[in-house]
Amino acid sequence: MLSITSYAQSATKISFNPVFGKPVLHLDDSCYTTDSICISNFKCYISAIKLLQNDSLVWEEKNSFHLLDAANEKSLYILLNTHSNLKYNKIKFNIGIDSATNVSGAMGGDLDPTKGMYWTWQSGYINMKLEGKSKLCKTRNNEFQFHLGGYQNADNALQTVLLNVTDNKEIVIAIDLQKIFTVIDLAKHNQIMSPGKEAVLFAEKFSKIFSVQQ
Amino acid sequence: MRNKFIILVLIGLFIASFSIKNEPIFVVPQNWPKPHYDFNKNPLSTDKIELGKALFYDPILSRNDKISCASCHSPYNAFTHVDHALSHGIDDRIGTRNSPALMNLAWHKSFMWDGAINHIDMQALAPMSNALEMDSKIENVVAKLQQSTIYTKLFYQAFGDSMITGEHTLKAISQFMLTLVSANSKYDSVMRKQTEFTSQERKGFELFQQHCGSCHKQPLFTNLQFENNGLPIDKTLNDFGRMNITKDAKDSLLFKVPTLRNIEFSYPYMHDGRFKKLSEVLNHYTSGVQQSKTLSKQLQKKIILTPNEKADIIAFLLTLSDKEFLFNPKFRK
Ligand code: HEC
Ligand code: HEC
Repeated sequence: MLSITSYAQSATKISFNPVFGKPVLHLDDSCYTTDSICISNFKCYISAIKLLQNDSLVWEEKNSFHLLDAANEKSLYILLNTHSNLKYNKIKFNIGIDSATNVSGAMGGDLDPTKGMYWTWQSGYINMKLEGKSKLCKTRNNEFQFHLGGYQNADNALQTVLLNVTDNKEIVIAIDLQKIFTVIDLAKHNQIMSPGKEAVLFAEKFSKIFSVQQ
Repeated sequence: MRNKFIILVLIGLFIASFSIKNEPIFVVPQNWPKPHYDFNKNPLSTDKIELGKALFYDPILSRNDKISCASCHSPYNAFTHVDHALSHGIDDRIGTRNSPALMNLAWHKSFMWDGAINHIDMQALAPMSNALEMDSKIENVVAKLQQSTIYTKLFYQAFGDSMITGEHTLKAISQFMLTLVSANSKYDSVMRKQTEFTSQERKGFELFQQHCGSCHKQPLFTNLQFENNGLPIDKTLNDFGRMNITKDAKDSLLFKVPTLRNIEFSYPYMHDGRFKKLSEVLNHYTSGVQQSKTLSKQLQKKIILTPNEKADIIAFLLTLSDKEFLFNPKFRK
């Protein structure tokens, strides 16, 4: 006999919460005084979301590509079509777009090139954009610009994040941008606009600023 | 009996009209390899191709509505820009490279002289955003198209959605470019045993296979690889080709091998348009090749050709002109 197990559909909500030490990130000219850093733009791709119970995969999202944009509140929430019996204690996801997708041609939704996250002079998605100002940058208007990406061989900047969670209906993940500025020297590194070693190193550091908020 | 005959004629007419209507949009020419493009991800349709063609010819893709793709890729010249060695863009700004002729792109794995673009769908983004070419960006282009009732209608017909997206815009432009297949030159007829070369053309073909065929490989007349064919660097441009993308010294001065189909019409030649005539190209291969660490091995030994042999090779190259392709009204506005 066929046994059909049907799970009740239910949703798990993930909220991403970009912060700068303090609870909310503001994208305006008021700098964070301690560091005299202001953030004007923060966007990043989250992809391949998976839920795990210990080390085994229990659920994964199909076509899992999400563009987080600090300027667009709605983009910070992701609803996963999970089912009610799901037991998991870890969440895994990528920051950025994998190599296979990078060579697959034009795509829609959050991957549409009108989202401003695609390099035009050389093919490839920009995994993360972080832009702003700081007195530490001896650049035009004290601006810094980090556009991280790259999908080929040693320049592959894709990062994987694995976090412990409790199987609640809502998972809140903080992205504390202040932390990134404690590990990079803005006076020396303030422009990354193409794939390469520097982008990969920055991406590794960036992946460490994600944490689960209780 | 008479009735039967009429029915047969009717059936015949029906089949004929049906097959005309369903004339395949894309045919892989006999004995050609499988195209690289994955048509499952972007299935061709007449409406999408027509939309792509409208976009290709429409200066709406540029900041000031003056430059279209066809400004640099003219249908009268195998889809390249003939009068200019370096491409000529918006506000008369001069680019840094010669625009390549466009054909048989469904077989290509990467685009641009240095392979900067990894997929034909993404190609249009480059000129749209290049400040020396169209100086706009896809966000603005889509916004402009959305304002146009003609385009919202065309997008609806093509994609069943009048909401214009970057994805659909790019896929439509690809579709038009993918249909630019050139496979009906005299050379092709000879290969299909429908006609014969003259004795000069045949001598030229033999010399070509011996000296040129490994890079300009049949039937596409490119091996689609990056090679250094020994052009001395132009100090005003300092273009290191493939190395700009890979940052690997082994790729210094390597450029994508261009097709030689319709070469009669796609002058000037090379990535910087330095040669105007095929005779200059042949003189380069016999006496201009510059030795360097990355020079392709086929050219490390000097090629020796008499003036007659050069003329023979050129006679052969002229058999690669494909009138059906060059004058195809389907490809024109
Ligand atoms: C201002 C001139 C100009 C315009 C406008 C222009 N192109 Fe090009 N195109 C070029 C040049 C120059 C190259 C080679 C650039 C390079 O290698 O860096 C090129 C390369 C290409 C290639 C790669 C061909 C190959 O064999 O690798 C394609 C395809 C192409 N263009 C399509 C388009 C489309 C589609 C448009 C319109 C959206 C367009 N071009 C607009 C000048 C132009
Ligand atoms: C080692 C590979 C190689 C060999 C062998 C070779 N070519 Fe080329 N050819 C190239 C490359 C690479 C280019 C483009 C170079 C550039 O623009 O920097 C090119 C460009 C050309 C062009 C200009 C095409 C255009 O659209 O601008 C012509 C014509 C040409 N070759 C003819 C020949 C002939 C004829 C021979 C034999 C005598 C030959 N090639 C042998 C690699 C090769």
